[in-house]
Amino acid sequence: MPEERTDTELLIASRTEPEAFTELYRRHAEDLLRYFARRTLDPETAAELTAETFAEAFASRATYRDQGVNGVAWLYGIARHRLGRFFRNGKVDAAARRKLGMPERDLPPEDYERIEDLIDFAPIREALAEALETLSPDQREAMRLRVIDGLGYAEVAERLRCTEQSARQRVSRGLRKIALLLQERGMQLTTEVEA
Amino acid sequence: MNADIRSLQLLERDLEVVAAHERERLASIDRALDGGPGRPRRLPRRGRGSGHAWGGIAAALVAVLVLAGGIGFLAQGGSDEMQAADGGNAEAGDAVSGGAGGDAGGSESDPQATKAPVAAEALPGVEGPNGALVPNLESDRATYGVADEAARDTAGSPLQSVGTVPEQQGDLTKIIRDGRIGIVIADGSFSKGVAGVTQIARRNGGFVLESSSRDERSGALTLRVPAKRFDDTMLALRALSGQLDGEVEFQDITGQDVTAEFIDLQARLDILKDRRELLLDIQADATSTSEILRLAALIDDVQLQIENIQGRLNFLKDQVAEATIKVEVRERDVQAEDPGSDPENPSLADSFELAVQGFLRIIGAVVIGLGYLIPLGVIGLIGWGVLRLVRRRDRGAS
Repeated sequence: MPEERTDTELLIASRTEPEAFTELYRRHAEDLLRYFARRTLDPETAAELTAETFAEAFASRATYRDQGVNGVAWLYGIARHRLGRFFRNGKVDAAARRKLGMPERDLPPEDYERIEDLIDFAPIREALAEALETLSPDQREAMRLRVIDGLGYAEVAERLRCTEQSARQRVSRGLRKIALLLQERGMQLTTEVEA
Repeated sequence: MNADIRSLQLLERDLEVVAAHERERLASIDRALDGGPGRPRRLPRRGRGSGHAWGGIAAALVAVLVLAGGIGFLAQGGSDEMQAADGGNAEAGDAVSGGAGGDAGGSESDPQATKAPVAAEALPGVEGPNGALVPNLESDRATYGVADEAARDTAGSPLQSVGTVPEQQGDLTKIIRDGRIGIVIADGSFSKGVAGVTQIARRNGGFVLESSSRDERSGALTLRVPAKRFDDTMLALRALSGQLDGEVEFQDITGQDVTAEFIDLQARLDILKDRRELLLDIQADATSTSEILRLAALIDDVQLQIENIQGRLNFLKDQVAEATIKVEVRERDVQAEDPGSDPENPSLADSFELAVQGFLRIIGAVVIGLGYLIPLGVIGLIGWGVLRLVRRRDRGAS
C-alpha cells in the first residue's frame, strides 16, 4: 500500500496533477466548513466561504512555496482572509469561483440543520441571547425556536405559519446578522483552535 | 468528510470538474511543448500578469478616448468646419472684404451670415464744385458691376438692385446688416475725415451713434443709418478715403437673416394675444374668487410672455430698420491699433492661444464622443450581464 502523501505534498503535486487537490479537499472540507460555521453562525455563509476558499486555493496553488509552512496552514490563511473580507463587507465574494467557472450554488434545504449541528452554540449562548434583541421580530422568533428551543425547521415553520424555506432564511439571516454584530463588538465567537 | 452534507458533495464534484479541465489544459500545454506530463515546471498563470493587465487597461482607455475624440470630431461637423472657423478668424484680420455685392457668398457654416471678400482698392473721388468732397459713386458702381438702369429703378438706394441686397428679397425678409470699414487717409486730414464721415451719415438719413479719437490722428465712429441707405453709405465712405488721398484698409459686411425668428415671434405673439383675449372673456364670466385669482395669474403670465416677445420683435425691427456701420479712420503715419496676427507666421502669444484653443477643442470633441459612447457602453454592459446570468443559470441547472 503506497504511503499517504502529506497535505503539503498534495498541494505541490496539484500543480501538475490537479486531481491531487481534490484529495486535499476531502481531507479538510468539513473542518473548514465548521471553522466558518462557528464564526459566521450562518450555514449559507459558511458553505459559500468554504467553496470560495477552496476555489481560491486551487486557482493560486502555483504560488504556494514549501518554506516550512504547512499546506493546510496556507489553506487556513486564505480562509482567514476570506472571513475578514466577509466581516468587512457583509457578503461573500465569488470572484475565485467565477474565475474557475464554478457555479454559485444555493444551500440545499437539508444542509441547514446539518451545518448548524457543526456549530457549538454553548460558548456564545449568553451573547447570542443578548444579541437577539437587535433582530426583527420575525427573525428573533425564528431564532428563538430554532437555536434556543432546538426545534426542527418543520416545527419552526409550523409555529410561525410559514414555509420551511422561509423559516430557514429567517434563522440564517438572523444568525448572520448576529455574527456580524458580535464581530463588530470585538467578541470572540469561538474557542476553537485553528489548524 | 461528512457524507451527509450535500453542499460539500456538490463542491467536491465541482472541484473535480475544474481539476479535469485543468488536467486537459496542462496536457495541451505539454503537447504544445512536447514535454512529459510529469515534468515539473512553473504553471502558466490563468490570467495575464498585473503589469500586462494594467497595460491592457491603459491601452483600452486610450482607444476609448481616441474613439470618443473621433466621434466627437465627426459630431462637430468634421475638419472642414473647424478649418473654416480657423480661417474665419484669420481672415478677419487681414482680408479686405465686403462690398455691396457680396454675392460670392460667405461662410457656408453660417447660412445667416454673409461676408464677401473684395480686393482692396482705392477709389478716387472727384472734385465737386467749390472743392467740396463728392463721393465718386459712379466709379464705385462700376467697380461693383452695377448697371445704371437697375440702380435708377430702385428708389432711394440705387445699389440695392445688385441682387444680394435684402430689399430684393421681398417685404417679409428681415436682415440685420452690419458693416465695418477702415480708412487710411493722408496725414493732417483726420478732422476733415471725421467731418466727412459725419456728413455722409447725415446725408443718408443716419447719425453718429458714438465716436472716439486718439491724438486727433485716429479714431472710430459708429454710424446708424437706415437699412435701405446702407450700401450708399458704404460706397460714400469708400469714396471719402479716395478724396482724402487715402485708401480703404479693410471692409467687412455681414448680414444676419432673422426672418425665421421674426415670423416665429410674430406667430407666437398672435397666439398669445388670442389666448389673453380668451382668458379675459372667461374671467369676465367667472363667479368665484378663487377662479378669478387663478385666471388673473394666468393672464399675468400670458401678458409677461407677450411683452417679452414684443420687446424682442421691437429690437429686431429696430436692428433691421437701421444698419450699424463702424468706421475706423487713421492718418497714414499712425500705426494701426491691432494689426492682427499673420496666420502664416503667428507670434508666440498667438501660437499659445491657438494651442490652448486646439487643446480645448480636442477635449470638447472627446466629451461629445463620450456622450455617444457611454449610453452604448451601458447597453453593452447590460447585455453582457444578461448573457452571463443566462449562462450561469444554464451551468447551475446542469
